[in-house]
Amino acid sequence: MALTDDAAATANVGTGPDDATGMSSDVSAQPALPATRPGDAVVSPIVVPNTLWQAADPEAYDGGRPTDITHLREFDASGLGRRDDARWGGALDVIPTKADYVLDLIRMNSLWPLLSGLACCAIEMMSTATSKNDMDRWGMFPFRASPRQADVLIVAGTLTTKMAGPLVRLWEQMPEPKWCVAMGDCTCSGGRYKRSYSTVEGIDRVMPVDVYVPGCPPRPEGLIYGMMKLQQLVKDRRGHWPERAIGPTVPQEV
Amino acid sequence: MDRRFKVRLEARFGEQLTGPIRQRHDETEMRIGPGDVVAILTALHDEPELGFEFLSDLAGVDTGKVMQVVYHLWSETTTDWLRVVADGLSRDDPRAPSVTFLWKGAEWMEREAYDMFGITFEGNRDLRRIYMPPDYQSFPLRKDFYLADDAARSPGGGVRPMERSHVPSNAPSKALVRQIPT
Amino acid sequence: MTTTSAPSDDPRIELDRDLGVFEPVPPYPPRTEREAEFYTLGDGQMFINVGPQHPSTHGVLRVVLKIDGEKVVDLDPVLGYLHRGVEKLCENADYHQAICYTDPLEYVSSLFTEWSPVIAFEKLMDVQVPRRAEYIRVLSSELNRIASHALFLGWMALDLGGLTPILWSFIERDEIVDMLAALTGQRMLFNYFRIGGVNGDLNHEFMSRLGDWMSRAAEQIEAGNGLLNENEIFVRRMRGLGTIDAKTALRMVMTGPNLRASGVPFDVRRAHPYSVFPELEFDIPTRSEGDCLARYLLRMDEIKQSLRIIDQCLHQMPDGPVMAKLPRLMRPRPGRAYAAIEGPRGQLSTYAISDGTDQPFRMRIHDPSFIHLQSVGLMMPGHLIADTMAVMASLDPIMGGVDK
Repeated sequence: MALTDDAAATANVGTGPDDATGMSSDVSAQPALPATRPGDAVVSPIVVPNTLWQAADPEAYDGGRPTDITHLREFDASGLGRRDDARWGGALDVIPTKADYVLDLIRMNSLWPLLSGLACCAIEMMSTATSKNDMDRWGMFPFRASPRQADVLIVAGTLTTKMAGPLVRLWEQMPEPKWCVAMGDCTCSGGRYKRSYSTVEGIDRVMPVDVYVPGCPPRPEGLIYGMMKLQQLVKDRRGHWPERAIGPTVPQEV
Repeated sequence: MDRRFKVRLEARFGEQLTGPIRQRHDETEMRIGPGDVVAILTALHDEPELGFEFLSDLAGVDTGKVMQVVYHLWSETTTDWLRVVADGLSRDDPRAPSVTFLWKGAEWMEREAYDMFGITFEGNRDLRRIYMPPDYQSFPLRKDFYLADDAARSPGGGVRPMERSHVPSNAPSKALVRQIPT
Repeated sequence: MTTTSAPSDDPRIELDRDLGVFEPVPPYPPRTEREAEFYTLGDGQMFINVGPQHPSTHGVLRVVLKIDGEKVVDLDPVLGYLHRGVEKLCENADYHQAICYTDPLEYVSSLFTEWSPVIAFEKLMDVQVPRRAEYIRVLSSELNRIASHALFLGWMALDLGGLTPILWSFIERDEIVDMLAALTGQRMLFNYFRIGGVNGDLNHEFMSRLGDWMSRAAEQIEAGNGLLNENEIFVRRMRGLGTIDAKTALRMVMTGPNLRASGVPFDVRRAHPYSVFPELEFDIPTRSEGDCLARYLLRMDEIKQSLRIIDQCLHQMPDGPVMAKLPRLMRPRPGRAYAAIEGPRGQLSTYAISDGTDQPFRMRIHDPSFIHLQSVGLMMPGHLIADTMAVMASLDPIMGGVDK
């Protein structure tokens, strides 16, 4: 009891490794559950070897070396992102139940996009969100301004090297589960600015992408199709975000 | 094409011009040296019978040999655009005086010319990079800055098979078709 | 507790240390006078970084505000987050490809951004554009101007917090843009103007949609205006905010509606006419207050003038070809050309230099939004943070044009 003056009773409170109050509140006696099931590895991405053309200058387009313009690699290697402190995440991955399915339904039907309109595709994204092509029908009405409240990052518009830092920071600030939609040609592959000195040729160089919506700009119907594909992905839990890597991660069946 | 305007300009600025005044369509072009920019633009701005109060554009140009700063001005007194070309800036250390004392709105245009070409405008209070990140080293619009895949100057001159396969039959000479060392 | 542990030692607490803290102040000593002046804090002041991603939907603009309490003392816009290197790319492309690169500069009004280089290239090549093509150009671009101003209305209200007008604006815009899609094939980056004319003639789908829309246009626009013009919150927030007088506006090289709202009746269509504007009858609306409300009301007046121009175009449309006969491979003689047009935001101009090859030697694009953003710093001191958004929205910048 805290009211007693007994020095011995309160001597060890708050000090040392034995102290029970020092342990985190969700640590239990059992060992931590693994974050994923053993057979749940992501299928290896489809790799199309580049036989079509080669740049004259071997240093062009990075010279083929892996991109190092973000520290996401170090972040992934350090394992900080794999820590599965969240109760629900750990439990759900091991025990697929109807609760799983319901949660996926909930997530897919209320994907909240982050306002990340960079350029022209943002206008078509806004057009998709407004009355004529209404994205609110699928629950995507609130375009959150804060990344902490958003589920989907629809990157709409050209990503430049100056903006790549802030965009990756936005992506990292979004709490999981999160998905990324590359809208428009510039985000899929660099688009008409592929030869430019200051654009990133495709956002999959800096962040994992789930759905690519091509077009310059894609029609609102195209973006809606992309979002419905994303919903399908969410429902089938194929966008399995803990194992996500940078680069195309589209499984073979898609 | 306002011929009387050309006569007026030659009468007023005759000795400061470094070349003849040329006119084409609805533009009149005069070339001056960078040292005369302040005097001439102030005269163009302040004198009532010239009255060029509206700066329409401020551009940097890299001709490969020299750099230029080109001003486009508009006035009610003539139907032509006036183009003032400050010619002869060296490509190694291009310097030009700033016109921000006349038009404060030229500040960012000069910043852009600095960012893209490296032209230092003396008198601009805010000469830092505007488009590229502040630690960028090169000046992108210079002619010695090549894009990563600076291939197709013309049909047949590219590195991609699509660019090489099509050389039109009336392509004049091999000079336009770049020989890529294989 | 007998020991105090610093927060960074506790393994349960993750700091943003690995990601780095995003400081608005640049991590190097100030290199210019203005940087030194701006990035030194007075007593009680602080910096707030309105970052490249923010809900004010102009695109990726970063503004560093120096505030004293809620009042803004100074601001420094940081550009370049959308710099795509268009001018350099145009130097390595044909004349036709160069026009395609200019579409996404002012992406809501891309017919204007195409028009100015097209005129410059036509001057370089001494090409005469057929009259029907000119009339079609004016018609489609005035439609685009209305769409752009409708979007301005929506964004203006959205930045002040009103969510309804943008829905109405997008209805308006969707109708116009579907019309233009019937004409040009694309909803947004139209790629319609060609050197020597336009890509295709008017078709039945376009004319029927246009006729249908014109019969309803005036009431729709009045309804949209009615939402905001008499809304007390809107008017009280915007009146007297961000005032610029005529002399300052000329010194800041402003053009377009921002200049005309300050009392200077300068419109390139009348000051230096191009295309068939000498044959068309329209007024240049001008207002003298120079505040945000004047800029908003002026753009609404301009929509009415655009409707008038469209009407005249439809009545005066001549017959004939829509494209001049030109060689496929364009190689103008060496020379220089400058062309300026009146876009919905101001004067858009192109300075093109040709060196005799089939690629432009230099294509300099001058964009009005770039110039107008300089004046935000003049208008803001003394106003509140929330007014920054209103002022920027009233200048109607499009970051594609600002950053090129």
